[in-house]
Amino acid sequence: MTEPDRELIRVRGLNSFYGRKQVLRDLSFSVEANRIFVIMGMSGCGKSTLLKHLVGLKPSPPGSIYIEGKDISGWNHAQWNNYWLRIGILFQNGALFNSMTVAQNIALPLMVHTNLPKEIIEIMVEMKLHMVGLSGTGALMPSQLSGGMRKRAGLARALSMDPEILFVDEPSSGLDPITAAGLDELLLSLKETFGMTLVVVTHELESAFRIGDQMVVMDQGRIIAYGTPEEIRQMNDPRVQQFLSRRPDEEHRDYDSYISRLCKVKRR
Amino acid sequence: MKRLTDTFGFVGRWILGIFVGLGRIGIFFLSTLRGIAYPPSKTGLVIKQIYFIGHKSMFVIIFTGAFSGMVLGLQGYYALSKFGSEGFLGSGVILSLVRELGPVFTALMVVGRACSAMCAEIGIMRIDEQIDALRCMAIDPHGYLVLPRLMAALIAFPLLTHVFDVVGVWGGYAVGVKLLGVNPGAYWDGVYRSLEWQDIWMGIVKSLVFAVLTITISTYKGYYAGVDRGSRGAEDVSEATTSAVVTSSVTVLVADYIITSIML
Ligand SMILES: Nc1ncnc2c1ncn2[C@@H]1O[C@H](COP(=O)(O)OP(=O)(O)OP(=O)(O)O)[C@@H](O)[C@H]1O
Ligand SMILES: [Mg+2]
Repeated sequence: MTEPDRELIRVRGLNSFYGRKQVLRDLSFSVEANRIFVIMGMSGCGKSTLLKHLVGLKPSPPGSIYIEGKDISGWNHAQWNNYWLRIGILFQNGALFNSMTVAQNIALPLMVHTNLPKEIIEIMVEMKLHMVGLSGTGALMPSQLSGGMRKRAGLARALSMDPEILFVDEPSSGLDPITAAGLDELLLSLKETFGMTLVVVTHELESAFRIGDQMVVMDQGRIIAYGTPEEIRQMNDPRVQQFLSRRPDEEHRDYDSYISRLCKVKRR
Repeated sequence: MKRLTDTFGFVGRWILGIFVGLGRIGIFFLSTLRGIAYPPSKTGLVIKQIYFIGHKSMFVIIFTGAFSGMVLGLQGYYALSKFGSEGFLGSGVILSLVRELGPVFTALMVVGRACSAMCAEIGIMRIDEQIDALRCMAIDPHGYLVLPRLMAALIAFPLLTHVFDVVGVWGGYAVGVKLLGVNPGAYWDGVYRSLEWQDIWMGIVKSLVFAVLTITISTYKGYYAGVDRGSRGAEDVSEATTSAVVTSSVTVLVADYIITSIML
C-alpha cells in the first residue's frame, strides 16, 4: 500500500485547445496517492478534457503533466502501455463495447493481459459486477442496459484490472439517490480497502464533499478553487459560492434581457 | 493573375491533400502490421472475421458468380458463333473469370457486403470513445480491430474468388452447353487446356492485393471518422462509410488495371 501524501500526479500550467478554441487555461494542482481527488464545475468547463490529458488520450505540452515525477509528454509507446495497465477509466458515456456482452466487456482486459483460466476470469467478472450492484446482468448486451446501469458496467470494467489509479467521469449521473449513495460508498472503500487513488469528476455537491479529500472547482477552463472540502466551503469567491449554493446565473432570471435576445435572434 | 494563383493554389492543395492522405493511410497500415508482435492473440478474432467476411458473403458471391458466368456464356457464344468458333467458349469463360471477373467482382461484393459494415462498426466505436477505451486498457486498437480483419480478408478473399470462378464456369456451362447447344466436351476441353498456372496465380495475387486495399481503406475511414473535424456525430459515420465504399471500389478497379498491365 502507498504511503500517504505521496504526490502521484502533478499538473503545472496546463493549457489545452480544440483547434483554436482554448478549453483549459493554466491549470495547476497535485493529486496525492491514496486520496480521492474531486473535479467539479459547470457543464462544458473542460472536466472531461482534463481527464483526457491525465490519461494520455489528448497530448499534453511538455512540462505540464508529471506522473510520479516523470513528464508524460516524452513517454514512448512502452511507457504509456505501462501506465495504462495501472489505471482504470470510466468514460462519461460508459464507452462499453457494444458488440460484446457486459461480462465480455469486463473480461476483455483480463483475457488480453493475463493468463488466468477462464473460470477464474468468470468469477472475477462476477465479483466486479457485484461491487457495482449489477450481479446477474453479465449476459446482457450494453444496448439492453439503462443509462445508469451502463455507467456502472463501465465502472466495473474500469475496475477489472484492479488499477492503482481510477479515473471516473461522473459516476452517478443518471442514478437515483440510493444507488448514487451506494456508489459513493464503493469509491470510498476502493480508496480505504484497496489503497486506490481516485480522480472523480462529479456534479453532485453532496457526494463530492462526502468522498473528496482534495477538490478543484473549475469555471470556463480555469480553476477557481482548490483545496480540501473545508477550505472550499469557506471560500468567499462569488463564483464558488454561487456554484456551492446552486444559484443559477443572473442572466437566466433576467427576463428582459432574455426577451431582447430572442428578438435579436428573430431579426437576424 | 489572382485567378491564376487561386487555381494553382487550389490544385496544389488538392494534390497535397492526396499525398497527405496516402501518407496517413500508409502509416495506418504499418501500425496495423506492428500489431502482429503485441497481444492480444489474434486466432479467435481472425476466425470470427473470416466467418463475417467469408460465410456471410457466400450467398451473394455464388449468386453473382452464377450470373456472371451465364452472361459470359451468352455473350461469348454470340461473339464466337460469328466466326464459327463456339468451341472456344470454355476457354473464353474461364480466362475472363479467373483473370478478371472473379477477383474484381468478389472484391466489389465484399466491399458492399462486409467492408461497409466494418467501416460503420469501427466508426461507431470511434465516436462512442470505445477506441479510446481500448487504448487506455493498453490494448492496441490497430492490433485488435484492424489486424484480425486484414488477416481474415487475406484468407477469405482468395477462397471467395475461387468459389466465384467455379460457380461462374458452371454458369457458362449452363447457358452455353445446355441452352445454346455447345458441345460439352469442347467446352470442358477449352476450360482445361487454356487455363494455366499463371492465370490462377494472377487471380490469387489480385484477390490478395484487393483484400489489403479494401480492408485498409474501409477500416481507416472508420477509424478516423470525424477525427479531423473533431466532431462525433452519426453523420460522421455515415459519411465515412460512403467514402469507404466509393474509395475501395474505385481503388479495386485502378489496382486491377495496374496489376494486369504488370503481370500480362
Ligand atoms: N472534440 C471536441 N472538439 C471541439 N471542442 C470540444 C470537443 N470536446 C469538447 N469540446 C469543447 O470543450 C469544452 C469542454 O468540454 P468537456 O467535455 O471537457 O466539458 P465537461 O466539463 O466535461 O462538461 P460536462 O460536465 O457537460 O461533461 C466544451 O466547451 C466543448 O464544447
Ligand atoms: Mg464531461
